[in-house]
Amino acid sequence: MTAWRHYTLMVVFLVACLGMAVRIVYLTVAEGDFLIGQGDNRSVRTVSIPAYRGVVYDRYGEPLALSTPAAAMWTDPSKKTLTAEELAALADLLDLNTDRLMQQLSRNSEREFLYLKRRVSWSEVQQVKALGLQGVYFDREYHRYYPAGETVAHVVGLTGIDDHGLEGIELSFDQRLQGVPGEKEVLLDLHRQTIKNLQFGKPPRYGEDLTLAIDLRLQFLAYRELKAAVESHKATSGSVVMLDVATGEILALVNQPSYNPNDRADRPAAGMRNRAITDAYEPGSTIKPFTVLAALETGRFSADTVIDTSPGHFRVGNKLIADPVDRGSITLETALQKSSQVAIAKVALELEERAVYDALVRAGINEYAGTGMPGEVAGSMSDLGLRYPVVRAVLSYGYGLAVTPLQLAQAYLTLATGGVRLPLSIVRQTEPPAGERVFAQAHVSEVLRMMEGVTERAGTAHKAHVEGFNIAGKTGTARKVGAQGYDDERHAAWFAGIAPATLPRLVTVVMINEPKGTNKSGGEVAAPVYARVMARALRLLGVSPDEVSAD
Amino acid sequence: MSGSNFLIWLVMLVVAVGSGIQVALSAHQTRTLHAQLETAQKAQDDALAVQSRLLIERATLAAYQNVERAAQTELNMQFPASAKQVTP
Repeated sequence: MTAWRHYTLMVVFLVACLGMAVRIVYLTVAEGDFLIGQGDNRSVRTVSIPAYRGVVYDRYGEPLALSTPAAAMWTDPSKKTLTAEELAALADLLDLNTDRLMQQLSRNSEREFLYLKRRVSWSEVQQVKALGLQGVYFDREYHRYYPAGETVAHVVGLTGIDDHGLEGIELSFDQRLQGVPGEKEVLLDLHRQTIKNLQFGKPPRYGEDLTLAIDLRLQFLAYRELKAAVESHKATSGSVVMLDVATGEILALVNQPSYNPNDRADRPAAGMRNRAITDAYEPGSTIKPFTVLAALETGRFSADTVIDTSPGHFRVGNKLIADPVDRGSITLETALQKSSQVAIAKVALELEERAVYDALVRAGINEYAGTGMPGEVAGSMSDLGLRYPVVRAVLSYGYGLAVTPLQLAQAYLTLATGGVRLPLSIVRQTEPPAGERVFAQAHVSEVLRMMEGVTERAGTAHKAHVEGFNIAGKTGTARKVGAQGYDDERHAAWFAGIAPATLPRLVTVVMINEPKGTNKSGGEVAAPVYARVMARALRLLGVSPDEVSAD
Repeated sequence: MSGSNFLIWLVMLVVAVGSGIQVALSAHQTRTLHAQLETAQKAQDDALAVQSRLLIERATLAAYQNVERAAQTELNMQFPASAKQVTP
């Protein structure tokens, strides 16, 4: 009677034990990897340690873009850990809308991840932590600040929410600035707090700092004067480029309109363009010094060569080339000073077919300046029509080609250096780069001497005169192409100058696009901007005046 | 059990116990070092936060427009005329 109960119980226990043993073996051998994986999925995390993005400095160490530690604050909406009062307190602290926050949470109540706010500053993080909320988590990230704001916005550019460069230097030097994020493996508890560091994968490699060639003081000066001029002339846009003659560095590069890179809501499409390098315009008379240079190179012309411009206009093919007044017989020097279309075109037609074109190519027109800033264009100039006299004639006074303000500055740099073409650079150079001689010193000196006449009282740009300094420059007023050919109302007003003319230090190009008002010439609109910027810039750099006025 | 056999057993036991203690010690050391690393990283973060805040403050206060305004309004400085310039 009792024996069979005893044996039955024994068998049941044995079968149960055997069953469990089989199950254990099955779980460990057949499903082991899967189960360990599932377990790790729930508690082990590889977290990336964000790398600190490099600082962008100006040439004297002023920060133009820098990162500060911040946090991305997030929660798990599916757990519903936050009460209404807690949410209200949180929203109050973070300057968020309570109702919207509630809606977001309820809308995403199925999800396990929702950013409450990104780029929360370090001090705010401490305040939120002080509230002692359950279920609010912080991920480390960095917030990018641009202390100089809109003044250097186009050069420096900006980064997106994930700390990747979107524009400007931030984009083109993204790899260098970014660094490499580190990794570590951590064990999380139920509340997703790190309870143990399992493995320290690799430390983050911080991004490299970058020192630009920009001089923030000059940049600010140029920006302020350009902004004032664009506003007072109701112009569409404008640019100023300033180059260092010794090194080819870009000391200032400003555009109007601009934008504030610190304000993510302020992103006007028109203001984002770095117009000095992305927009090409016809340069007009600013090209004339190169025509004169090409003429000097033949040896058949000199500053005193007399050109007969009467009756103030002449015809090439079916194109009428005209001066505003009949200037009679003038020397080549006067032709440049007064910016005579007739005289310059007549000179150009005496030269070989490719002479002016070649001079411009040597000066860097039609080529990328290669600064590495995104969106740079090479402008356009073609040698296809050079066998037609009309094409050569208009090319000699700056029509039929398009250049960016930066390219024109580079071309003038070849004059300022005495005929040596330097590579341009937006990054600060430790030693002067090797240049390439493209014009003979003697010819360039002669052209520079003639260009000094432009800013004298009798010249077209007497408003570019800077007291105490001799300035070699040239104005340009190019009509823009509209629906019916060249438009008489829309102009690009240029001034390109080299200061001081005797021992050049700075090359500056001012371009004001579509100024409104009665006088839209480069001499009236762009030259005064140049003079105001230069008066301050030359003193800032401690350049000795050429002429010391008596008394 | 012979004497030499017993000796081997004893040595093995001591080695096993010793390595067990070593494991525990090294685990503890790892934790301590990790904690130190965390502290150091936090300190670095705080220092970075301070540094960048100071840089931003300096850049804002010493912005060219502020310097110019202060020079003109507070210090009554004025831009020199050409005739007053002293050439070095």
